[in-house]
Amino acid sequence: MQIQENMSIMEKLQILSDAAKYDVACTSSGVDRKGDGKGMGNCIAPGICHTFSGDGRCVSLLKILFTNECIFNCSYCQNNCNNDIPRASFTPDEVCSLTMEFYRRNYIEGLFLSSGILVSPNYTMDLIYQTLYKLRVECHFNGYIHVKAIPGADPALIERAGFLADRMSINLELPTANSLKELAPCKSRRTILTPMRQIQNGIHDNTLLLGDTSYKGSQPLSTKTRSSQKFVPAGQSTQMIIGATPENDYQIMSVAEGLYQKFELKRVFYSAFVNVNEDASLPVLPGGPPLLREHRLYQADWLLRFYNFSVNELLSEDNPNFNIYLDPKCDWALRHLEYFPVEINRADYNTLLRVPGIGAKSARRIIQARRTTRLDFADLKKIGVVLKRALYFITCSGKMMYRTKLDENYICENLLRDKTQIPKEIRESGYKQISLFDVGMTEPPQPVSLAMIT
Amino acid sequence: MYVFICEDTIDGIFTAVYNAWDSHLGHKNIYILAKEPENYELFCEYIRVETDLEKSKKVADTIKRRLGVTVYTTLCEAIMAEEPCPKKTSRMNAADTFSITKADAFYRTLLYAFSMENPTRIMECLGNPYVLYLFELSRNVHTEAHHLLGFLRFQELQNGILFAETHPKNYVLPILGDHFSDRLPGENFMIYDKNRKLALIHRAGIKNFLITDASSINQEMIHNYSASELEYQKLWCGFFESITIEARKNPKLQNQNIPKRFQKDAVEFQK
Ligand code: SF4
Repeated sequence: MQIQENMSIMEKLQILSDAAKYDVACTSSGVDRKGDGKGMGNCIAPGICHTFSGDGRCVSLLKILFTNECIFNCSYCQNNCNNDIPRASFTPDEVCSLTMEFYRRNYIEGLFLSSGILVSPNYTMDLIYQTLYKLRVECHFNGYIHVKAIPGADPALIERAGFLADRMSINLELPTANSLKELAPCKSRRTILTPMRQIQNGIHDNTLLLGDTSYKGSQPLSTKTRSSQKFVPAGQSTQMIIGATPENDYQIMSVAEGLYQKFELKRVFYSAFVNVNEDASLPVLPGGPPLLREHRLYQADWLLRFYNFSVNELLSEDNPNFNIYLDPKCDWALRHLEYFPVEINRADYNTLLRVPGIGAKSARRIIQARRTTRLDFADLKKIGVVLKRALYFITCSGKMMYRTKLDENYICENLLRDKTQIPKEIRESGYKQISLFDVGMTEPPQPVSLAMIT
Repeated sequence: MYVFICEDTIDGIFTAVYNAWDSHLGHKNIYILAKEPENYELFCEYIRVETDLEKSKKVADTIKRRLGVTVYTTLCEAIMAEEPCPKKTSRMNAADTFSITKADAFYRTLLYAFSMENPTRIMECLGNPYVLYLFELSRNVHTEAHHLLGFLRFQELQNGILFAETHPKNYVLPILGDHFSDRLPGENFMIYDKNRKLALIHRAGIKNFLITDASSINQEMIHNYSASELEYQKLWCGFFESITIEARKNPKLQNQNIPKRFQKDAVEFQK
């Protein structure tokens, strides 16, 4: 390891933000908190983007690692202890003054503090806790804080940090325990899922989780420094790396579904794998990071959270991957033509939600509007329905928009002509057009080992 | 036709509504305009409206009471919009001598709302062209203001004041003022709307802020940075550079998400 003494803040910031950038979560959403009239900061539930980086992603938080002097050896991570890269660690004071000064100038909504593992999980978690304590109690910072729970750290430390943070996350990293063992031998499902469960319980009870009153006196929160002494009020999230290991979409989405249902996560993030270490044992993906696959997973995730779909409806052992050319909802509809066409003037909300081209907002508006009039296709357009997608699947007062066939191949062909099936930002990032034959998903299905999750 | 000409401010337009109502000239015969007419029509009488805070307050109170605070906020946002509305969906009717503009649309919307059984639902009546127009304006203002809550940049001056310069299309200073005085109660700050030559001023420890004419702002003062200002700008720019994932680089998406007109006031985009 190269550890330099007397590094400038600038050098540290560059190293430790560069090291943090593969964590995709940057939102400042999920909590509304007015200013307290004295300290600095407030929070707005939908979140605020302060700028957009060169890859087009929203920058909302000062996203940094506390340290990249990591003793672990996760092979997908550039900070793993076998890598010969520049190393640095912040002090709690340095993180505080960067956060405060950036926040005053309106560069950021708050802090996203993650970390490599310095000395030991407990040692690191304690440093993180001290940083948050200083920030909240000494600097009176009332803005957004997202903090990482360190796998394997003492639950008491995680709990204390949780009372100071708005969101907490612990990355699942890889969809299956096997892949985790292979790529991140120092981590295990247990060290990841135990704190995840603890945070979940903490959010529920919003009280001291351990019944351990011994440190209550030293709790910063009993000093009434924050108006709302809530435990992780914006909920918890996690992240999985996509494409480093052979799991199929069915496995990945099943894990996500388990996390939403059993762990009540607010968000699961998917991160297209970038082979930063040029590690020969890890795949080099020919088209660059699998951005389109990542996009399909986010779309499917959306279907789970807001459209009442379950994974088993979208995918199966026999059909374990999304059609990369179609969005998952169109893909589902094509395979379930027996549900269509849907009559706009009669269908219930949940049925409308499942029609390609009808989003949650349009479905609500349809229900509202048809109370007073019979809707026709012109009305649907005004309401915001994407007719070029929906027209194959709906009738208005018994009529279809054009004469079409309710036939899988026919509709599929027509839908594929619509280039918006592949989102603009991916089309324009120089995404290579691979032919249909290149996406023969030939990976053998892996046994799903989700013992703790499902 | 009687054309009431008023100031392009909330108080100006509210006063005009009060006067128009009070004139008993018949709603059909009235048109309210918040700017100088481009040419004077032959058969029109032009009536100048003197902004009157008392009348304005009466109108505001009535709207809040009958239409609710949410609708009131939406209407105020619409009035803060710069015309013409860039979305151009104002569905202008060529047969109208007087096209839809915000002050008159505001008047018509109120008339319509007061005729409704439940006026609090006025903003749902998007079939009405005046309501639709105000709705679009308010969305426009709202979007720009929300952008600026993120994209505004303060610089610390020698005297410790935080100073931000911005070029908004709409009059969004009041929205920014609410947000930043809640967020930074302990700071002296100033937000300068260079397009309108107006400055919003907030004093540390005081809940309110004021907006004042700043056409003679001291250029030297606003470029006189504190000792550490450039240091933090450099740190921020360094962070901004290193946070990009090279393998996902996508300048088009970046420009789509933070349009060029906002980039020019954001320090990380200055070369
Ligand atoms: S614990 Fe693993 S993923 Fe985290 S910084 Fe260390 S090597 Fe990287």
